[in-house]
Amino acid sequence: MTVAAHRGPETTVVPPWPLVRQVLHRSATSLRRIPAAIIPVIVMPVFFTVAFSGTFRGLTELPGYPTDNIYNWMVPYACLQTASFAALASAFGLGRDLESGFYDRLLLAPAPRWTVPTASVVWAMIRALLPLVITLSLGVVGGMTFPGGVVSAVWWLAVGAFAVAALGSLWGLGVMYRLKRQSAGGLVQIGLFVVMFLSVGTVPLELQEGWLPYVARWNPLTYILDMARCGFVGTCSWSDIWPGLLAIAVSAVLLGWWAERGWRKLVP
Amino acid sequence: MTATVADGPRLHTGRQAAALGRRAVVRFARQPSSWVPATVFPLLLVAVNSSAMGGVANIPGVVPPGTTFLMFLLPAAIVQGVMFGGINGGSELATDIQGGFFDRLVASPVSRPAILVGRLAGAVAFGVVQAVFFQVVLWPFGADVVGGLPGRIVLVVVAGLLSLGLGSIAAGLAARTGQPEAVQGFFPLVFILLFLSSAFFPVQLMSGWYQRVAELNPLTWMVDGMRVQVLEGFSPGAAAVSIGVCLGICALGMLFATRQLQRRLAVAS
Repeated sequence: MTVAAHRGPETTVVPPWPLVRQVLHRSATSLRRIPAAIIPVIVMPVFFTVAFSGTFRGLTELPGYPTDNIYNWMVPYACLQTASFAALASAFGLGRDLESGFYDRLLLAPAPRWTVPTASVVWAMIRALLPLVITLSLGVVGGMTFPGGVVSAVWWLAVGAFAVAALGSLWGLGVMYRLKRQSAGGLVQIGLFVVMFLSVGTVPLELQEGWLPYVARWNPLTYILDMARCGFVGTCSWSDIWPGLLAIAVSAVLLGWWAERGWRKLVP
Repeated sequence: MTATVADGPRLHTGRQAAALGRRAVVRFARQPSSWVPATVFPLLLVAVNSSAMGGVANIPGVVPPGTTFLMFLLPAAIVQGVMFGGINGGSELATDIQGGFFDRLVASPVSRPAILVGRLAGAVAFGVVQAVFFQVVLWPFGADVVGGLPGRIVLVVVAGLLSLGLGSIAAGLAARTGQPEAVQGFFPLVFILLFLSSAFFPVQLMSGWYQRVAELNPLTWMVDGMRVQVLEGFSPGAAAVSIGVCLGICALGMLFATRQLQRRLAVAS
């Protein structure tokens, strides 16, 4: 439902993209102006890459580990982690806008209302780009290789990272629309962390023990990670990719529904 | 505090600290957002890592025969939980400053050391409870302590002292900035230090500069001392190293917190 439907026939609905562009511009300006906001973008990729690759280097000594280069395994995981942080930051920003009343003013803009949440998702994806570049660069400096070819490896990694940013953002929208406060970002964070941890982040399914592989097998992120890693642990084949694309599609439908239901509670 | 109380007989500093400590503990317990993440996250991380990396225990020399990777991770869970809780406890002082309670305390005839001691009591109590809780919760899953009761007591003592040390650093930051957000910003730094140690993975399986940094990290000495109690048996020497590192952190933290508190009190008066 558009604003025009509420406001009567004399109101003109402008095209959606100027509003999306303005919201994105405002988000980019906030990122520059708030030093605390830039820290996760710069520091977290460095931390994840160094910490995961340095701490867990010995995992490559496990029989059956898919690669002998820990960067090839951990850098894609770090990329997806930082993409989830982009989604988290987007959720925090939304919470701030909801608390301050800015969001109410956005909803009064004479553009289709769907452009407002769309801008949040798009911003999370754009924001994921910088940590992706930083993490990849660190990996290359550390000695990461591209056995599946540079283009293929980077392409599927980027698809995975942008998908995680978008899906995480949808999760964040759903939570924030329901709770309407910035502190609810903690809940968004817990959800993202749990999904990240309960996947094949550090070791593949075949080497996991106990209860974890049963959970990880049902976690969509497992398949998105497998897709994002395909060019770093071998050559990308369709069998590596389609489960990841399917996981993205199914998650997008479910999380989109979650966000849309929250949106309906906020804007009946 | 009212004028009536101020004009009456003054409480001994110890009793003032106890009263403020009781307030800190009750306040902490009443705010699940302060202690739930500090309890749930370490347990989740241990559960996931022990399942994901259990195979590491099969690499010769990582853990003694008959022990598990879950036992290896028990000290990490305790230290991680204590870090969360200690910093949260310290940041409560910032909340008091922001909310105006600190100013009211300063205006009352309360002893100045009691303000700090009372506030840190909450962090220490939580650290001790966490150390016991993690041992109890993980024990049915196989996280036994080979060192028995003395080893378990060492884990609890280290947790309490580490809470005091980190809590005092956080309290110092709180006194300096008066902003809970600024104190919380200290957590990632501590978490990075913990990652650059032997807490989550054996140092002998690391390599290069990272391994060197981990070997030189005092948190590695502390965690390794705790780990000896869990994996090998009670060792007074290893316990002394762990406790010594904690006492060092406490000394630095208390010095920092005292100076920052004095500075804030000077500005306030």
